[in-house]
Amino acid sequence: MARTGNKNIQAKLVLLGDMGTGKTSMVLRFTKGQFFDFQESTIGAAFFTQVLSLNEATIKFDIWDTAGQERYHSLAPMYYRGAAAAVVVYDITSMDSFERAKKWVIELQRQGNPNLIMFLVGNKVDLEEKRKVGNEEAEQYAKENGLVFLETSAKTAQNVNELFYEIAKRLTKKVPSRPTGMKLHRRPQETGRRRQLPRFPQLFVRMLVYQIELHCGPSDLKIKAALNEK
Amino acid sequence: MYQTHSKREFAIEFQPQIQILRPSIHSRRANLLVKFQDLYGFTVEGNVDDVNILNEVREKVRQQGRVWWALEASKGANWYLQPQVSSLTEGIALKSSLKLSNLANAITLKRLIRKGIPPVLRPKVWFSLSGAAKKKSTVPESYYNDLSKAVEGKVTAATKQIDHDLPRTFPGHPWLDTPEGHAALRRVLVGYSFRDSDVGYCQGLNYVAALLLLVMKTEEDAFWMLAVLLENVLVSDCYTNNLSGCHVEQRVFQDFLAKKCPRIAAHLEELEFDVSLVATEWFLCLFSKSLPSETTLRVWDVLFYEGAKVLFHVALAIFKMKEEELLLTHHVGDVINILHKTTHHLFDPDELLTVAFDKIGSMTTNTISKQRKKQEPAVMAELDQRLRRLNSIKMDDEK
Ligand SMILES: Nc1nc2c(ncn2[C@@H]2O[C@H](COP(=O)(O)OP(=O)(O)OP(=O)(O)O)[C@@H](O)[C@H]2O)c(=O)[nH]1
Ligand SMILES: [Mg+2]
Repeated sequence: MARTGNKNIQAKLVLLGDMGTGKTSMVLRFTKGQFFDFQESTIGAAFFTQVLSLNEATIKFDIWDTAGQERYHSLAPMYYRGAAAAVVVYDITSMDSFERAKKWVIELQRQGNPNLIMFLVGNKVDLEEKRKVGNEEAEQYAKENGLVFLETSAKTAQNVNELFYEIAKRLTKKVPSRPTGMKLHRRPQETGRRRQLPRFPQLFVRMLVYQIELHCGPSDLKIKAALNEK
Repeated sequence: MYQTHSKREFAIEFQPQIQILRPSIHSRRANLLVKFQDLYGFTVEGNVDDVNILNEVREKVRQQGRVWWALEASKGANWYLQPQVSSLTEGIALKSSLKLSNLANAITLKRLIRKGIPPVLRPKVWFSLSGAAKKKSTVPESYYNDLSKAVEGKVTAATKQIDHDLPRTFPGHPWLDTPEGHAALRRVLVGYSFRDSDVGYCQGLNYVAALLLLVMKTEEDAFWMLAVLLENVLVSDCYTNNLSGCHVEQRVFQDFLAKKCPRIAAHLEELEFDVSLVATEWFLCLFSKSLPSETTLRVWDVLFYEGAKVLFHVALAIFKMKEEELLLTHHVGDVINILHKTTHHLFDPDELLTVAFDKIGSMTTNTISKQRKKQEPAVMAELDQRLRRLNSIKMDDEK
């Protein structure tokens, strides 16, 4: 996994959202390129890993895909604890799922790591004719709450890889002193654009080490060592 | 009556050899994955070794059947259904009053059940030994049909969630994933959601009820098995509101792991691996989503006779079997992957159950009850704390 000449980041990612919004489908689309019209419901949580290589770094995602049913939410803290990024998913054909997503956002804002990168994702855009949650409404909400907003379809794969690339990029770029905020918000169509690499590699490495400690905890000595070697 | 019989017969019709669904020229090479159907119609992926193991398991099941018939011949028909033999319902006091022959039978039966109930006898044996038959006998004969009729067409939060989950319950299964299968599963789950509105519908029960349907062959019996499971066999509140019972079981399990497999427990603690990351699904689906079908049902054979402690035995055994491998892990993800691979490939039930009952050592129901009592306050406090947090969120919303 570790490629020479590259930085390695291990990051915990958690997906939250109402039952049936497509959390598992989205992860399966990303990790295996698969989609099933009928995806088994998740009990407790499912775990996936995926490695993404950017120019700047190689990111190894530990993905926790949680169960959506309300009563399972009592388990959620175990999964979002220590996460570097959280993806809150709703189904664009269900207003209830959007309302539930808002509750997740609030819970995460209060409970999670203040440096948590939060994404709001409206899934199932292939069902445009059944849409109940407007794009503008969700985007507005995301802007107000400092979330990155995307609309996806696990079925057609629209924006799914983009979502994870965007998360990866933000994980590598995130400057600790800058809180997650509105400045991080960009429109989905801009996501393809590459940002400039920092000019000072030394500083960049130190930033990364800091970040890794922040998101993965100091126990991740292997990565720190790998970075220090550079 | 519901016509649920015909298509389900495949479940107990033993094909002499496992059919490989996608045979390939290379399938002889053991490292290649093939898809095949197991005893209960589930499509599983495995290598050729797994196929061979499954064929051996079929042979063992047949042999075990012969043992049961032989005993039936010597002890009389249905000897195993004597109610006082059931360790689930008997008290200690009752035990001492048992006749010696009954005691001998109980010991034989316990041993026999740990070796597996022949699939054709499962419906009868489970129904009686679990206490489902007794439960059913306390209500009018027409209870289930009346219930089904009474709730027909009613829409509740639970029914909506059930409808959502029907096609997501073992999708692709040749009987469960048909309109007939969906309808039967729906009636069982909806019926139960009205019987116990505290439980309503909890995700996970769909898998349990589906497997019960496959085994019991009639909806009504599956319904009563579900009822006795939730109301008598398992710890209470496993599936209600905030799954508090399940949270308690997870903590009890954590304690048992520390006691029975101290090296593993210490290592996992270092990795900050919480056992409930994997065990929640095991306990809520009673392994039906993790273990191959015949292995799951072998666990259930013992579960219905010996009670919920069996879940601890089996969960501990899964860790125990992989002790050396687990001790080498450096990362939570590796632990999960090892456990996943292990459970999905446990095609030989005896491999698991031997460890579960011979290597784990005994756990009395009494110790478990004490452990549960000990853990309850902490779980309740934790759940309460989260609830208060959520309520403060609500209050803020209203401002
Ligand atoms: N049309 C459409 N269907 C989707 C999409 N994503 C998921 N689905 C379907 O929606 C259903 C639920 O998807 P899951 O991925 O299981 O949803 P989940 O959020 O993981 O659900 P829980 O595990 O119950 O919390 C499945 O039957 C999927 O096939 C999508 O983008 N478009
Ligand atoms: Mg899911």
